[in-house]
Amino acid sequence: MAYNILVVDDSAVVRAVIKKTLTLAGIDVGQIFNAENGQIGLDIAASEWIDLIFADINMPIMGGIEMVERLSEEGLLSTIPIIIVSTEGSVTRIAELKKKGVAAYVRKPFTPESIREVVAQVMGD
Amino acid sequence: MDAERIELIENVFCDVFENLAFMFGEPISKDGLEVNGNEHTQAHISFDGARTGEIMLIVSDDMCPEIAANVLGVDPDDEQVNELAGDALREMINIICGRLLTDLESKNLVFDLSVPEIKNINSQEWSVWLKKEGSLGFIVDEYPVILYLHMED
Repeated sequence: MAYNILVVDDSAVVRAVIKKTLTLAGIDVGQIFNAENGQIGLDIAASEWIDLIFADINMPIMGGIEMVERLSEEGLLSTIPIIIVSTEGSVTRIAELKKKGVAAYVRKPFTPESIREVVAQVMGD
Repeated sequence: MDAERIELIENVFCDVFENLAFMFGEPISKDGLEVNGNEHTQAHISFDGARTGEIMLIVSDDMCPEIAANVLGVDPDDEQVNELAGDALREMINIICGRLLTDLESKNLVFDLSVPEIKNINSQEWSVWLKKEGSLGFIVDEYPVILYLHMED
């Protein structure tokens, strides 16, 4: 099954690297949607069919944590799993994110293997 | 900074450059670091939470496209490279900062990182940053690089 994936990161470089890594990881990707902050990510998640979201934490306008909270309020979090991709390594922060409903966490820099593993874990492949 | 802390910072710096950009760095005495040209890019990120401080990364302008090409895995002549050169440096300092805070402090502490910013500086400013306490010198694929770290007590 091909997944429609939303990548939310203020860095165009990271969005490009995630896209490339998904291909290298052999993940069947349908459409890829890009958002440079959480607000744009919310708008896309509400208007397009999205199977999986990759999101950063620190972004201008709306960060990843607020986006997760808003998706939860709008009932979208139960249908769209979110994988946080961030530089942060705090186990306290990761536990907080999981409590908020985040499906998984990947630390930058990531590899095709780590992306393949986390997508399989989250999507049940 | 004590020697153990400096070694940890050097290891994180070299590891991030190697894993993210496939560029190989080594620490060098600041006295041995020579300025490369007059145009440099300074990337800055600040943090607060468990500790407050800032980190800066200063590279020569001609190194930025090489970082971007390597991070993106494209040819240096690719049209994206110049457009995304600054963005690649911002991502580099973002990852260095995240790694340093966890490795220098504790995995249990929470930090809030700012959105990284970049600006151009000249060779005089480069020399001022090099002389500051808290700055370390590196050679990365023959390019001189300054990393500056300040943490408030």
